[in-house]
This record gives sequence, structure tokens and C-alpha cells, in this order.
Amino acid sequence: MKSFVPAQSPADVHRQGETKAILEIHDLCKTYGDAGHELTVLKAINFTLQTGDTCAIIGPSGSGKTTLLGLCAGLDDATSGSVRLDGTALETLDQDARAALRNRLVGFVFQSFQLIPTLTAIENVLVPLELRGESGRRKDAVDILKRVGLGDRLEHYPLQLSGGEQQRVALARAFVHPPKILFADEPTGNLDAETSAPIVEMLFELNRESGTALVLVTHDLGLAVRARRVVKMRAGMIVSEESHDAH
Amino acid sequence: MTPIDPAGKLPRHLLGALFYSWTWRMAWRDSRTQRKRLVIFSLSIVAGIAALVAIHSLKATVESGIATQAKALLGSDLQISSRQPFPEEKVKEIAALAQSISRETSVSSMLYFASADSARLVHVRALEGGYPFYGKIETAPSQAWERMQMESGILLEPALLDQFQVKVGDRVKLGSVELPILGTLKKGAPTSGRFSGFSPDVYVRLPDLERAGLLSRSSLATYRLHLKLDERITKKSGLDAQPAAAREIRTRFNDSHWQFETPESRRNSLGDSLDNFQQFLGILALVALTLGAIGVAGAIHAHVSRRVPTVAILRCLGCPGNLAFGIYLAQAIALGLLGAVAGAALGIALHSAVITLLRESLPIAVNAIPSAVVVLETTAAGFIVCCGFALMPLFRVRDISPAATLRQTASRSPGARLRTGIIFGLLAAMLTLLGAMGGGSWSRSLMLTGALAVAFLILAGIAAALIVVTRRVIRPSWPYVVRQGISNLYRPQNQTLLFLLSLGLGTFLLLTVLLIRNSLFERIRVADPASSPSLYLVDVQPDQLDGVRAVLKERHLPELESAPIVTMRIESIKGVPIRELEAAEDETESDGKARFNQSQNKIPKWVLQREYRSSYRNELSATESIVVGQWFSGAADPNGAVPLSLESEIAKDLHVTVGDEMVLDVQGIPIRARIANLRKVDWSRFNLNFFMIFPPGVLESAPGFHVITTRTPGSSGELQRALVTQFPNVSAIDLTLILETVGSILERIGRVIQIMAAFTVVAGIPILVGTLLNGRSQRFRESVLLRTLGASSRQVRRIFLVEYATLGVLSAISGVILAVAANAALALFVFKASPWPDPWLLLAGLATASGLSVAAGVVLSRGVSNHPPLQILRGDQ
Ligand SMILES: Nc1ncnc2c1ncn2[C@@H]1O[C@H](COP(=O)(O)OP(=O)(O)O)[C@@H](O)[C@H]1O
Ligand SMILES: [Mg+2]
Repeated sequence: MKSFVPAQSPADVHRQGETKAILEIHDLCKTYGDAGHELTVLKAINFTLQTGDTCAIIGPSGSGKTTLLGLCAGLDDATSGSVRLDGTALETLDQDARAALRNRLVGFVFQSFQLIPTLTAIENVLVPLELRGESGRRKDAVDILKRVGLGDRLEHYPLQLSGGEQQRVALARAFVHPPKILFADEPTGNLDAETSAPIVEMLFELNRESGTALVLVTHDLGLAVRARRVVKMRAGMIVSEESHDAH
Repeated sequence: MTPIDPAGKLPRHLLGALFYSWTWRMAWRDSRTQRKRLVIFSLSIVAGIAALVAIHSLKATVESGIATQAKALLGSDLQISSRQPFPEEKVKEIAALAQSISRETSVSSMLYFASADSARLVHVRALEGGYPFYGKIETAPSQAWERMQMESGILLEPALLDQFQVKVGDRVKLGSVELPILGTLKKGAPTSGRFSGFSPDVYVRLPDLERAGLLSRSSLATYRLHLKLDERITKKSGLDAQPAAAREIRTRFNDSHWQFETPESRRNSLGDSLDNFQQFLGILALVALTLGAIGVAGAIHAHVSRRVPTVAILRCLGCPGNLAFGIYLAQAIALGLLGAVAGAALGIALHSAVITLLRESLPIAVNAIPSAVVVLETTAAGFIVCCGFALMPLFRVRDISPAATLRQTASRSPGARLRTGIIFGLLAAMLTLLGAMGGGSWSRSLMLTGALAVAFLILAGIAAALIVVTRRVIRPSWPYVVRQGISNLYRPQNQTLLFLLSLGLGTFLLLTVLLIRNSLFERIRVADPASSPSLYLVDVQPDQLDGVRAVLKERHLPELESAPIVTMRIESIKGVPIRELEAAEDETESDGKARFNQSQNKIPKWVLQREYRSSYRNELSATESIVVGQWFSGAADPNGAVPLSLESEIAKDLHVTVGDEMVLDVQGIPIRARIANLRKVDWSRFNLNFFMIFPPGVLESAPGFHVITTRTPGSSGELQRALVTQFPNVSAIDLTLILETVGSILERIGRVIQIMAAFTVVAGIPILVGTLLNGRSQRFRESVLLRTLGASSRQVRRIFLVEYATLGVLSAISGVILAVAANAALALFVFKASPWPDPWLLLAGLATASGLSVAAGVVLSRGVSNHPPLQILRGDQ
């Protein structure tokens, strides 16, 4: 049985200062398709996540998890409702402003890794820093790659790495500049259990260290319970929520 | 309050992105796995710009060659003629503006051959100074011309020696002096050909002409100044270049009694050929550029499609849209520049190779290295157009949504359509500008771009229709491979539009070039002086006609044409006597530049004053066509005005049209004529043509003579001798020299057309092949999947074949049909040639285009069997 690593609780945050929501969702709806062939994927979702809190979203395939995640990170536009990320309403921002906000606050880990195939491992990790206009932080990138156990694979291209290794590079990229919130969409979905385990450990470890809030989409219940809150979705709606405080 | 600084540290504007070093670093890194493919992009630019540079350079070279040769037709840069001697102070003024000046005094006179005891009307020319400045007078013996400058003597055409049985050294009598024959002319000074007075040229020194006492009858003498001018030209370039000095002289010495002639006006004897040649080059340049642009757009499109995931990740990580766009724009600019430089170098090499190859057959000295200005201008223009076409697919980068990291989405921003429209508009404007730049006209350039745009839209429409139709017609009962291959035409990521816009458009463009080339050859053949008359027999009296014809027949020489000629002058136009029109003209002339401004209502004085050699006949000749009104019908009304057919250009000069009346003075008898029709005459043919033609039944009783034209295979001396013994009054005018010059120019134009068309085709085909291969990665992936699902490589190959063959044949057919239409339109409205295409050429075009497509399919399907499936499934491209 895996050891349970408690996430930073809102109580901890509270002790450091006032409680602040990193993510607030109000009546969020998403409809695909044009008139006549409409498909409502998200139906009036309401959800709030405190700074540093962790939350797992579970639900059957097609229930709208990925869609929700995309809307939270401002990757896509909602049909109605609002998303506030660190107090900023995403719907008031244009694409580039959202991108800038993501660069400042958000980290991603995807099911299909999403490394840039033309860049080496180290270059992939450096991209978020370069996009912040911070050059000369190669050492940080090397350090974090060493942390995820890829100190000897810096100059390898994604295609020369296994799936697990690619996901570790993705983790390193997400945490090279610690984000305030990390979105992970089935981070182990493409990996076998053996490969997954150390990656999950790393994910939670890095997350705890940096006080990052986490939104984790998974269908792996064992993984989900490691988050403080577990939200269950079905057919575009939140059907239940459990939380277990560490305290 | 907005918690984030929207400007951030990153450039959010395109220009900023291009000056941001990270952009270029990413551009370089991003090219890592794609360098071979990006070469296709560069190669399109290389091929397009190489063809463009070669075409424009050759055009410039050939134009300057032709301009030089046209100068040889005049012998100078500017010629001023007058019926009065030039006032000395004006000559001085003119001389100050010219590099060299040469005077000529000429007069028609009888030349008496004492030994034969007969005389002949000749055109005596006395030249002083270095004229002709272009071309050279050649004599036999060779130093005879130089000798004549030192001592008294006369130079004659060899035919005269033959005719009167005299030889070099014999004496002939001109006016009151006797002169020894110093030699014969192999090549005389340029003359204005058929209007020079219908008598052979002889040359003497000016003092001898004065001594002969011929100038006292000053009314018969013509005075000329021949000028060689500074080469600096005015703003017009190419064939219309005119030395600035010529312009200045023409406006400064705007004397109504002077007639100016430039090499340009002599070039009219080349007819439409030159104009057609330039048109063709304009079309070729447009085709080369468009093909390059197709290649560029295709390569960038394929590149961007492959980069969608990368861009989505970058956007996810916080990269502004313009910065991502900047990365790929930077790649395009860098590769475009490389391609442009390589293309320019290749173009220069091609130009030099062609010039070196042709040097033997080019009668003039041309430089193998093209002008730097032409190369730079062309390269820059080509580069801009190619980058412009790259922009269209590049703009897609900005539309790639970060959501593509979560799932494949085909997002299209709402402004995309408008933006595409704007880019298309700008590109069309740029192509039009380019077309007009090289000395072409705006309307023609606009017409060509418009036609191209229409073809583009039609092909895009066909693609859209094809997608709809194939989806409808496909039946489950069809064999698997056929169904699979055909449904590839409408499935997502289909190549239907790509094929029609590359292979279809390419077939259309290249085939049009080849078809037009054929039309031009046909025109050049028609204009070929080898079929023109080379000898005019003038002053044949009506009762001598049969005799002269018999002489021709004995020698098996053809009578090409014959026409009665009556000379006349204009007495009044629309009731206004000539004197008044002239007076009105003199008034306006005092205020300067009016004379060359045709838009003002001035009738050139020489048009009013000249003697018109008119003819009468009942039908149009082959080189004429009616533009306004109707040809004569029925008998002329003996009491009313006589119907008159007027040449359309002279009608423009006279400001008259159908229905207007003129009174003509036919050797003292006034004849009232009403203009019945206006005729367009192709003066490029040395056929008998006239400004004024009357119906039969009017001029028969007026004193006149006949002209007969024939063609002699070699020297016309023997014929002339035979004629003069029987018909001493008949003069023969030999046009061989001018015909040879025109012939050599036309031949050269034909050769250059041939080479340039070949260039364009050779450059275009690789671009098209490259574009067709662009679509392969998608098909690769699918085929590998099919193979893993158990399809045999034969099945995969057949699916490929069905798709590529269907698309290839349909694109080729569309292209061929468009080419037939374009050729017909161009042939009818621009080149005046037959609109019917060569069916063999059409078949060859169809076969080549379809074949290219099938070959691409075969090559790609073979690649599938050679590629390890795993590699492709893992995303290695
Ligand atoms: N671009 C799209 N157009 C239409 N339907 C879509 C689109 N993207 C997702 N969907 C639909 O939205 C629903 C939710 O998808 P998703 O959020 O990916 O679910 P999950 O991640 O929970 O499996 C699915 O039924 C899917 O078919
Ligand atoms: Mg999902």
C-alpha cells in the first residue's frame, strides 16, 4: 500500500495569511456543435479551490473532465459562466493575456506528455522559463531534471525517451518554475502501473514542496484518494464530492 | 484591476517577435527534424526566382539588342528632316545637345549614263559627318566610301551598274558635273524604305552636289540632321527608352516644318511581334512567380500542419500568438532569403549560359552578365511575393488553440476568412504591380492577374464540388481499394484542394505558356519577311503592265501584288481648308510643347502636307481589316461625294471618322470624298498598303501608274537590267536589306521565346512534384495503420494509386480546360492568333500531369512498405 502524503491543507494556508481561492468556477457551461447538433458537455458547474489545496476529478470517460480542465486553464472558451484564476476572470482576457497568466500561474501535465518533439529534454524544460524572458536558468532546469531522475538524459529528444521518461520531463517542465496551480489530465493514463508509481510520487512531492494547488483528472481511484478533495462527475455535472482533511 | 501586465516581458507584436532573439533560436531548433522538407520550400523559391531573374535578364538583354538593331534601321538616335535648309544657329544649338551630328542633303535627279546614252531617276544623298552612327556603310571595293570623302566621285547600287553596263571607274553625269564611279554599295545608309521616293540611292559629296547645281531647285531637296545622343534615358525603360536629349530637342525645336524620327518609329516595321514578345514575357514572369508561390504556400502549409501540436504546447505554456507566429515567419524569411539568393545566382547562371550558347547566332554584342539592377529588382520582387504567399498558411499558426493539447481540434478563428481575402487582395495587387513594372500596361497586367484569380477560384470551386460529389457517389458495393481511394478525396485532411490548386493550377499555367508559344510562332511565321515581297516595280504605266508581267513570267518570278496608284494631296477637311488648319496649328505651337501632345486637337503638319499615294480596288487585302464602317458596296454615286476608305491611324491624326468629308486635290482636280470606313493595316508586312483607298470607277481617268511587287531569290540586277531596256521609266526598289534585318530580329525573338518557355516548364515541374509529396505524412500514417490491421502492401499501393490517379486526372483535366480557355482568350484579344489549340499538346499536358500524380502515388506507396510501422505510429516523421 502506498504511503499517504497529505497535501497542504487550507488550514495551513490560513495560518500563513488569509484564505484565498486560486480557482473559482461559477455556473460554467460548455456546449459543442452548432445549432441543431448541440451537445452540452458541461452543465452549470460550480467549484472553488483554495490556494495550495488538492482536488481529484473522477468520472467515466466522456463525462467532461478534460473539457472542464481546459476551461479552467483558459485553453478554451466557456459557453457561459465564469472562471476566476487567482482572482482574474478568464473570460475578460484575450488569448494572449490568458497565455501570459498561464505562464505565471499554471503548470500542466498531460496524458500524452505533450513535449515539443524538436527540442531536447533540457530545452523542453527551459521553454517556460524562456517564455518568462528568464534566460540563464539552465542550472535550475538541470537540477529539476536530476530530481526526476533524468540527469543523464538532458540532450535526448522526446522520441529517444520512454513514455515514463517523457512524463518525467513534463513534470520537470511543470515545476521548473513552481506554478500556483497544476492541472494534470490523467498523467498516468498512458503508462503502466509500474512506471506510474514513481511519477505519482514525484508529482505529489513536488506539489507539496512548492505549495502548488493541484487539479488532477484521473479514473484511477487509488490515485484520486491521494488528493484532499475528490469530485465525481457524470454527464457534465458534479454529482458528489468528498474531502478528507489531514487534520 | 488587471493583475497581470498584458504587455508582459514577451513581445506581443509580430515586429517585436521578429526582433526577439528567442524567436530565432526557436526557429532554428524547430527546423531540426524538418530541414530536408524545408528545402522543398527553399527550392520552390529558388526555382521561381531563378526563372524570374533569367526571364527578366534575358528580356532586358534582348530588348537592348533589339533596340540597338532598331537603331541600325535608322542609323542614329534622332533624325530631323526638313524641306528647307536648317538655320545655322539652330544647328549649333542642336549640336550642343548631341554627342555627334551629321548632315545630309538629298535630292532626286536624273543620272545620265553617257556610255549607255540613257538616264535614270535616282535619289542623290550627300552625307557629312559620321552617319550612320549605328551600322556601317559597306562598299566594293571596300575603301570606296573613305575615298569618296577625299575626292570627287559617286557610289551606286550594283543593280545600276548591271542595268547600264558600266563599271567602277566609268564616268556618269549628275546635273552639270561628271563624276567617276568610285564603287558600288553593298550596304547603304539606312533609308525609310518604301516612302523614300521609289528610286535607288546614290552617294556623292556635298560639294559635288552643290557643284552639280541641283540644290537651286530647292523645293525638291530634303535636308536632314542625324544625331547621336547621350545614352541617358528618361523614365521609360526597355524598348520605349528614349534618350532624354531626344525629348528635349523635340520639344525645344518644335518647328512645324521639321519632322522627327526615332529608332522607335522605325521599329514599327517589326509590327506586333515585339509587343507580343513583351506580352509573352509578362505572362511567363507571372507564371514563374505563381508556380514558385504555389510551391511556397504548399510547403509552408504542410510544415504548419505538422507543427500544430508544438504550437499548441507553446500556447499552453504561455506563448503569445504573435510570438509563435514569429517563430515560423522567421523560418520562412530565413529560408526565403537563402532561396532568393540561390535563385538569383542560378538565374544569372542560366542567363549567362543562354547568352553564351546563342552568342554565335546573335548579330549584336550582348553582355553575358545581366544588369545588377534587373537582378536585384527581380529578386526582391520575387522574394516579397513568395513571402506573401507563405503568409497565408503561416497565419494559421495564430489560430492554433492551446486546447489542441487536450484533443485534436480544428479551430478556425472567425476573422480568418476576411484575413485570407485581404491577403489575396494584397497579393493580387502585388502581382499586378509587378506586371506593370516591367514596362507593361496597367490594364493588361490587371487583366492577367484577374484571369489568374478567376482560374484560382474556379479550381477551388471544383475541389469543393469534388468533395461533395465523391461523398455522394461512393457505393458500398465498390471494391474495397477503390472505395478507400475515392473516399480519401473527401475525408478530413483530404488533398483535393491541394491537388487542384497545385497540379491543376500548374497544368493550367504551364500548358497556357506552351499554347501561347505556339500562337506566337504562328504569328512570327506569318510576319516572316521570307514571304514578303522583296522588290517593288514602280511607275509602271497602264500600257506597260502586260509587258512587265511577261518579263516576270519569263524568269518564273511571282507577281505578288499589283496596284494602281494616283497621287493626291488634301485640300480641305470637313470644309476647313488646309491653310486654315495649318495656321491654327502655328498659333498653338508658339506656346511650346503642344506638338507631341496627341490628346490636344492638333493635326501633325506633315500629315496635312504630305502627298498621298492612293489606290482603288474593290476588296480588302489580307493585311487589312475594317474597324469602323463598311467596305464599299454598289457603284459610287457619280454626283455625290466619293466613298473613301481611310487607314485608322491617319484618321486619328486627321481627327476624322466615318461620314466626314474631305476634299482631295488629285493633280489639280478637286474630288469630294466621304469617309466610308476605317481600315486597320498591318504595316509590318511589306505588302502594298495605302492610307487612302477608293472604289473602282473614280480615279481611272486620273494620271497614275502601277506598282507591282515580286520576290527575287537572289540579286535583282538581271531583272532590273531586263526591265530598263524595255521599260526605261520603271524603277525597281530592292527591300532585301531591310527584310534581312527584320527577319533576323524576328528569328531571335522566336528563339528567346522558345528558351524562356522551356525555363518556366523546367522550373515549374519540380515545384509541382514537391507540392504533391507534401501531403504524404498523413497518408503514411493511415497506410501504416491499415497495414497493422492486416492490409497487404499491394492493397495499400492500390489505394494510393486510386487516390492519386483520380486526383491527378481530375486536376489535369481542369487545368487543360482552363488552359484552352485562357489560350483562346489571349489568342483572340492579345496575340491575334488562332484560338484553336494543338490537340497533341493538350494530350501531352494531360498525360504529363496525370503521370506526375500517379508517379507520386507510386513512390509514396513504396515508401510505406519501407518504413517500420512503429516509427510512424510513434510520431516520427
Ligand atoms: N470539439 C468537440 N466537439 C464536439 N464534442 C466534443 C468536442 N470535444 C469533446 N467533445 C465531447 O465532450 C464530451 C466530454 O469530453 P471530455 O471532456 O474529453 O470527457 P472526458 O475527459 O471526461 O473523457 C465527450 O462526449 C466528447 O465527445
Ligand atoms: Mg479526458
